[in-house]
Amino acid sequence: MPARDAWTESEPRTICDLMPAGLKILLTLTTIVAAGLIPLEHWPAQGLLLAIVFAGLSLAGVTMRYLLRRLGLFLPLLLVFGLSVPAVQSGDAAWSWTISLWLRCTVSFLAGLWLIHVLPFPKLLTALRRWKCPLVLIAMLGFMYRYTFILWEELRRLRNARAARDFGRVPRWRSWTSNAQMIGLLLVRALERAERTHQAMLARGWDGSVRFLDADD
Amino acid sequence: MHIRDGILGPEVCLIAGTISLGAITYSLRRLRLDLADRAVPLTGMLAALIFAGQMVNFPLLGLPVSGHLLGGVLAAVMLGPWAGCLAITMVLTVQAVLFSDGGLLSLGANILNMAVIGSWGGYAVYSTVRRWLGNSPAATVSAAVIAAWLSVLAAAAMFCIEFTVSSRSTGIDWRGVLTLMVLYHALIGIGEALITGAIVSYVLVRRADLVPSVNSTGTASRIGGFVASGLVAALAVAAILAPFKSELPDGLDAVSQRLQFDSLEIERPALLLEDYEIPAPAVSWWPGLSVSLAGIVGTLVVFTGSVALAATTRRQLAQVRVTDGSHAGS
Repeated sequence: MPARDAWTESEPRTICDLMPAGLKILLTLTTIVAAGLIPLEHWPAQGLLLAIVFAGLSLAGVTMRYLLRRLGLFLPLLLVFGLSVPAVQSGDAAWSWTISLWLRCTVSFLAGLWLIHVLPFPKLLTALRRWKCPLVLIAMLGFMYRYTFILWEELRRLRNARAARDFGRVPRWRSWTSNAQMIGLLLVRALERAERTHQAMLARGWDGSVRFLDADD
Repeated sequence: MHIRDGILGPEVCLIAGTISLGAITYSLRRLRLDLADRAVPLTGMLAALIFAGQMVNFPLLGLPVSGHLLGGVLAAVMLGPWAGCLAITMVLTVQAVLFSDGGLLSLGANILNMAVIGSWGGYAVYSTVRRWLGNSPAATVSAAVIAAWLSVLAAAAMFCIEFTVSSRSTGIDWRGVLTLMVLYHALIGIGEALITGAIVSYVLVRRADLVPSVNSTGTASRIGGFVASGLVAALAVAAILAPFKSELPDGLDAVSQRLQFDSLEIERPALLLEDYEIPAPAVSWWPGLSVSLAGIVGTLVVFTGSVALAATTRRQLAQVRVTDGSHAGS
């Protein structure tokens, strides 16, 4: 599910919404590059970066609960990956590598989370358009974004139908084959739907030019 | 599978991003897309499908972990390598920008590993195997299974290269980490291969016309075939030669020494390896052997899986033909 539902709202909610989309992307990428370049000896700088990112997150109105939930999904994997080096090899070099990895990754992850929270998808498409990204790619991205929610809905229906038939008790191997068949069925339906959509678009006079609602943004 | 920000150095991300950008531009040029073309909604739809398909979890046998479809080879099988590459690129972009699944700066590296190698490389293997085995549905399923497994292994190998290049800290022996990486992905690859094969098999039984046939002419496919054969040969050589290559300089004495002195060390890797569900002692004292064992076991499992899935497809196709006289109905 997306980070925020009310993406289509026009009036800015926080100060972060006032910034242009390109600036937000640049700020985030700069933060991530800086986090990647700061060596462990300069850990106060890394801490400062972390504080800045936290300030940005609170300015954007990210709740602590949301932050903790995302970190709960992210941190265990990072811990395991970081520990794989000191576990195989002893010595200070391994530990300092691990700690600097944890710091780097956490700062970058939080910066990415900020961007997700303040950059609605349509604004991203606008920024891409301004940066001369090929229109074909932008159109495909737009289609993908639109279809994803439709296909999730379809997938939910397929799952419900299956749960209604098998009473939720499926042997493991059987669940593999039925899951694969479910994706296969979704694939067949999706391609048929794409075909129909394209015909409908042509019937309504689609000439290939993509029109954007927020052209002057 | 998705590389997070901070794991690779910024300079490696930049290089990988540049390569990916080139690959995307080349894919766009090869498609020669007109915006009014049908491929635009089709590619968007397939990207959405792979994204939605990743929500379906496949439980691992006996473990509390689950995996999901990656989809590089599936996209290439359904749309060809160029549109497949674009579809996976979009999936990765949306995952990074909307769901913070995979880093923003390392998006280029992720695209290189999964979209470019996954779709281009996967399709090269797929078309080569299909040309060897013929154009029957069973051959298509087998080719997809083999291509999916190899594409995951190739992505893991590519990550190892990027990681080794970007790790600036010296004095750390990366072999153990990278061995784990390849072993882990040999397992993930088996899952990906079986899922891809089962999906392709299902589509072939229901709507065989949706799976395009492989055109055997053209330089691209010849180069693809060459690259694919080279990749398979390299993997085979690595699987067979790895133990000898890694141990020859040390000699047998060194091995016995390490076994004696490092016996205390084995417990610690074992702890870690429990997280990875891999037999522990093998890795700690002989990375080469465990990699080649994983290679051989993986090859056997994938081969058996592809034969079994092909047989299932053939049987189901026969059934469908008997019951309704055609295989076009769904």
